Amino acid sequence: MDEPRNRTLKLCLTARPAYLSVVTRFVEAGAAAFGMGEKDALKLGLAAEEIFLYLCAAVCPGNVLDIECFNGLYYTRLTFHFSAPELHLQGLNIAPTGTCEEESNLRDLGLLIASRSVERLHLTVEKANRISLAVTKEKTYPKIAERVPCPEAPDTLTLETADGEGVKRFALLVRQCSAAPGLPSFFDCPGRLADMVAGGEYRLILAMNAKKELVGGVLFRDRTERIVEAFGPYILHTGDGKATAEALLDACLSRIARTKALGLLSLSGLPAALEDRFEPLGSSIFYATDRPPAEHPFFFRHLHEDPGCEVWSQGELTAWLERAYDRLVLARNIRILRNMGETRSGFSLFSTELERERAVATLRPLLPGADFAANLERHIRFIRKEGFLNLFFELDLGVPWHAEMIPVLAANRFQPEILLPFAGQADLVIFQHHDATEP
Amino acid sequence: MPARRISLSSSITMRPNLDALVPAYVREFEPYIPSKPDPELMKLYGCRQLFRLNNNENPLGPPPGAQEVIRRFPPPHGALYPSGDSFYLREAIAAFHGLDPDQVLVGNGANEVIAFVIKAFCEQGDNIVTADKTFAVYEWVAVFSGIEARVIPLRDEGFDDIGMLRAIDANTKILFVCNPNNPTGSYWSRERLKAFLDAVGGERIVVVDEAYFEFVEREDYPDGVSLLSDYPNLVVFRTFSKMYGIAGLRIGYLVGDLAVVDMIRRTCVVYSVNRLAQEAALAAFRDDTGHIRRTRALVRESRAFLHEELAKLQLPVISGEGNYLIVKLPGSDTLAYRKMMREGVMIRPMTGFRYPNHIRVTLAKMEAMEAFVAALKKTLA
Repeated sequence: MDEPRNRTLKLCLTARPAYLSVVTRFVEAGAAAFGMGEKDALKLGLAAEEIFLYLCAAVCPGNVLDIECFNGLYYTRLTFHFSAPELHLQGLNIAPTGTCEEESNLRDLGLLIASRSVERLHLTVEKANRISLAVTKEKTYPKIAERVPCPEAPDTLTLETADGEGVKRFALLVRQCSAAPGLPSFFDCPGRLADMVAGGEYRLILAMNAKKELVGGVLFRDRTERIVEAFGPYILHTGDGKATAEALLDACLSRIARTKALGLLSLSGLPAALEDRFEPLGSSIFYATDRPPAEHPFFFRHLHEDPGCEVWSQGELTAWLERAYDRLVLARNIRILRNMGETRSGFSLFSTELERERAVATLRPLLPGADFAANLERHIRFIRKEGFLNLFFELDLGVPWHAEMIPVLAANRFQPEILLPFAGQADLVIFQHHDATEP
Repeated sequence: MPARRISLSSSITMRPNLDALVPAYVREFEPYIPSKPDPELMKLYGCRQLFRLNNNENPLGPPPGAQEVIRRFPPPHGALYPSGDSFYLREAIAAFHGLDPDQVLVGNGANEVIAFVIKAFCEQGDNIVTADKTFAVYEWVAVFSGIEARVIPLRDEGFDDIGMLRAIDANTKILFVCNPNNPTGSYWSRERLKAFLDAVGGERIVVVDEAYFEFVEREDYPDGVSLLSDYPNLVVFRTFSKMYGIAGLRIGYLVGDLAVVDMIRRTCVVYSVNRLAQEAALAAFRDDTGHIRRTRALVRESRAFLHEELAKLQLPVISGEGNYLIVKLPGSDTLAYRKMMREGVMIRPMTGFRYPNHIRVTLAKMEAMEAFVAALKKTLA
């Protein structure tokens, strides 16, 4: 597979409505060249149209705009890079800031409408108000439910990196053998998993028995710069799978032990035999329209010595953090943020990551502002109205102003659920929104 | 031709384009973050004392002569540059090994001499060969220098000579062998090392890192320096950080064939070894008070104690030569590190050595060993 830079198309223009057709043609032609089906390419083109017009009108009119179209093999990601005056940044909140909440004011809803035709929308703010706004459209793959025979327990194991056919067979066997409630849906589509691995973002180690039959595997990817997420290990043979699971986990740890990664995270279920090799972080309930709510436990495996760090808190979160740090044996200096009457001006900005397939919305604070409370309330209303059943808020304890959000979150029915060590500038707390209508 | 006028005054702050300036192999490399100083760790973990069992330091400290040098170091000498090439120390080392002083290079710890060797022999496209579970610095220096590191899995907890030989190709410049290996304590006998050197031939450099040489009491354990005359492509590392107990002063050295060392010297940073380190190392080297004997006795006693205690706990142990051993735990080594820190015992979690769920512990004084066992029992409870 080509280097990422060789899988990127770029378009540089200024944010003027007259260029709309240039943008949509660039995006649709790029997506088609990357192997997206016509329907998927058109949807990405629609998202590009909404975003471009919105940026032209409300965020960076007339400014230089760089658009990148990236071939992730199983998806195409479109990223808009631009700078915007601070006054206009509030317009990047996915929930409109005006009083009008009706969809008749389409200009204010540009990002939300764009998000409806893609799987993922993500916003980052770098220094000097340099913004990256990305939308991701995944390819459509066929679901395969073919049954393959399960191998017997192995006497000897060899571990190897998978090729395309091995990946597809792994997907089929995982779907067939694993009963984990949190099993990711990409296992339904072996072709998609093959592209995920071939694209380089996911790595897969397979375990084979002496007859060269596939008996297990572990999939993993960089979730953030510092956190690797593991899927599995999955045991695909009959009988006791402890030795296979341990060998796969050790191989995964050895691959990442001398990388930037500080921790290994498991969100989609672990074999019981491996649970004592991880640290339980807690669990979250995930809701879906087509099945009952399911509890997903989070497990963590630290890869290095804990250097300790400083974290910021206030109010009731402090006691929660003290209990969490004591339970996880993490050395932290908790500093308390105090409001001393200082003035907070400006408008806050949240990044809203929307994952439609899992009905998950994740808010992350990007810029502080005096309107935290009102902005959060707007986001909750809009995200719930869009049908997202799972709403999370990620708070980075290493950023002092993030702690200003703590009482606002509590007042809006967000509860701290999971503490993710080192997942931000320091640790990250994931809050989950509990709707008043929940049982 | 009129001179171009270049304005040097500007109020604009130009930020460097680091993506363009920094090679990808440096950008991608994760800098090693060393432990915080002991007082900070004690504050963080809430412990009143700290037994340092993570770095294989010698609990007896330097030999008495070196201690005296450190105590009496004249403060005004802090203003003077040291000998740029550790002149007197090189003479003493050469005399001890029966070599020419120009066959000796002294560096700011063995880490620096690793960098000297890689810089001297490798360029983009080259590779080095070593083991996957060994001292990490060979691999690190290669990787952040843009050199491929081929890491061969250990076999029976020892360096796999066959695997290493198979990994050699036309671009292989250096093979690093840690003998005895840190962290497993395994070693190659003289016969095995010679067979390996014969198989490699003279086309490549073989580095034998003997950082723990003075701890080994086995008869078949080779003195790499004695093989230099037969194998001019051999380079041997030694350090003053372990047996000689001056890790805090950072000093180590390499020896090799005159022509080979002459090449390495070209990449060597002069004046990198400070005056106190040179003088303390010289005194340590000349020790005649039985420092090595006392240290070996302490290590033997501690090893026997730990073997017995760990057997009672039914914990598997990997124990060979050197002043350390590895314990396999039923769970996460990094969690064990944190739990033991709360008890004031600092061990080395081994995930970073590609030994997940293992810890390495330095063999130290009995008080520390007893504290280690107590903390381990509490951790496993």
